[in-house]
Amino acid sequence: MLRYLLRRGAGWVAMIVVATNLTYLLANSFLDPRVNYLQLRPPRSDEEISRSLAQYNLDPGTPLLQRWWTWITGILTRWDWGSSPVGDSVNEQVAFRVVMSGQLVFGALVLSVLIGVALGVYSAQRRHRPADRVAQFVSVIALNTPVAVAGLVVVVAAITINQAVGQTLFYVAGAQTPGVTGFWPVVLDRVQHLVLPTISLLFTSYAGYHMLQRAMLLDVVGSDYVRTARAKGLTRGQAIRTHGLRSSLIPVATQVAFAIPALFTGAVLTEKIFSWQGMGDYLIRTISENDVHGVVATAAFAALATAVGAILADVAVVALDPRVRVG
Amino acid sequence: MNVPSTTPAAPTAPRRGRLALVWRRFRRGRAAVAGLVVFAALVLFTLLGGLLTPYTHTAVDFTALTQGPSMEHPFGTTAGGNDVYAQAVHGLQRSLVIAVTVSLLTTAIGAVVGSGAAYLGGGRAWGRRGERAVLGVVHFLMVVPAFLILSLASQWGSGDYRVLIVALTALSWMTGARLVWTVATTLREREYVLAARFMGVPGPAIVLRHLIPNIGSLLIVSFTLTVVAVVQAETALSFIGFGVQVPDVSLGTMLADGSASMTTAPWLLTVPATLLLLTTVSLALVGDGLRDALDPTSQAGGRA
Repeated sequence: MLRYLLRRGAGWVAMIVVATNLTYLLANSFLDPRVNYLQLRPPRSDEEISRSLAQYNLDPGTPLLQRWWTWITGILTRWDWGSSPVGDSVNEQVAFRVVMSGQLVFGALVLSVLIGVALGVYSAQRRHRPADRVAQFVSVIALNTPVAVAGLVVVVAAITINQAVGQTLFYVAGAQTPGVTGFWPVVLDRVQHLVLPTISLLFTSYAGYHMLQRAMLLDVVGSDYVRTARAKGLTRGQAIRTHGLRSSLIPVATQVAFAIPALFTGAVLTEKIFSWQGMGDYLIRTISENDVHGVVATAAFAALATAVGAILADVAVVALDPRVRVG
Repeated sequence: MNVPSTTPAAPTAPRRGRLALVWRRFRRGRAAVAGLVVFAALVLFTLLGGLLTPYTHTAVDFTALTQGPSMEHPFGTTAGGNDVYAQAVHGLQRSLVIAVTVSLLTTAIGAVVGSGAAYLGGGRAWGRRGERAVLGVVHFLMVVPAFLILSLASQWGSGDYRVLIVALTALSWMTGARLVWTVATTLREREYVLAARFMGVPGPAIVLRHLIPNIGSLLIVSFTLTVVAVVQAETALSFIGFGVQVPDVSLGTMLADGSASMTTAPWLLTVPATLLLLTTVSLALVGDGLRDALDPTSQAGGRA
């Protein structure tokens, strides 16, 4: 198992290196850091702009290969991912924003998997009955709701509730209120900020797990080993719980593992709507500010998340499926 | 005594063409039919809706800035004095044109590349190497940060929807190709494909005449569901400002407009949000219905 993981890991590292360098090339050809200095008043001359950019290794006058070498040696020797065209450290930004995104993404992920799987089991056991039909109807809509629409509807609903109550029950922007002190007030404040973006992420992501879990469990319920379990005298519920659930969880677990990277970058819209300063927000910001090094760091992070997700998916399959042996 | 009859029993129902059969099965799904009706209404709206208003999406009415719905402007106006009804007609059209074009292109590319690779893999050693090379490219493109490259490309193309179509197609054909490849690898071992191969039919002809027609239903369903995915991707990009950009209008840019003033001018948000939701949900229902209708083993549509 360990050797298998190491081999897979090495393959993924190669993939990350290639993807990161490719992004460096693309970002340098599509983005022009000089734009950040063109609107400054008094206007700067071309030499001044070049000199300012050169100190951040972004001067378009320097050959691309030379800039690339400086950039890659900076990462390899000092783990320094460079700075933005105005001199902000990429390392600092990413370190801060990964934590911010994590707060948002993992809560939503755990909740959506729990709700999705539970609903899937529930509606598979009540196939074609009204409860199943209603749950499926809601899920079809949730599955096809664009993230932006879900986020904006949640914001409008929250504002309506806030106005009806007469005080700010939910915050629609940011992650915390400045100036709140004390343990419980801080926790309460964070939760008030987290609820809305979590709900909108949850609504757009739980339905996939619901549909998949339902379909997989229905496949398994008709299988020989569940029938054998029933013949041994287990009730329908017992047979499903002890024999059917585990194997029907395999594809769901795979999908969850792959959803982790998608969630980090896929929360772009949610983070924008709720002014949440995470990685998704950083992606938009770096592109519109021509921040080459920031863009590349985001891409590297996304590739890393994909790799971690894929390896987790492998581990999950091995852990859940007794038929799979590796190494 | 059973006397073997020489003539087959007279058919009780008239023979139906495949299309009629599929249509009969499709009609049984109430949700799918509802989806088709809604989607047809939306298409009619984008094609003919422009005739019902004197305004165009760029025309500015300075006497009505941020006005709610009225007789003159049925969906209200924006802060810049644009008629929201005219914008909705144009924006939905723009979103649909992008989505349908991209889906057609990705489905076509995916079909040719996927079944081509599968065909090569069933042949000689160099063919198997070719298949592995194609799959390598497909897998690599699936890891590449697609969203980021899309944003970079459409930012560089400054919101031209044609640039967006090219970029979306370039970054989303792989999923379809991968799916087609999986199915086509089983088809390439079938007798009729082997027979054609040994009769000396050239490879491209086998791919076009024997492999692709036999995954037709897969392609139709995948086309419909890709349209849904592309509408979502395009509106998301346009919403954050990297897709379609002013002066052009899509549902995504309208959503972005509406989110800026959602409490003071709610009609700016409800119009694009409703249209978008109707589009994606109705098309997804049609896609599911088509899958049930085209799959001969499916029981969802009842007996054919």
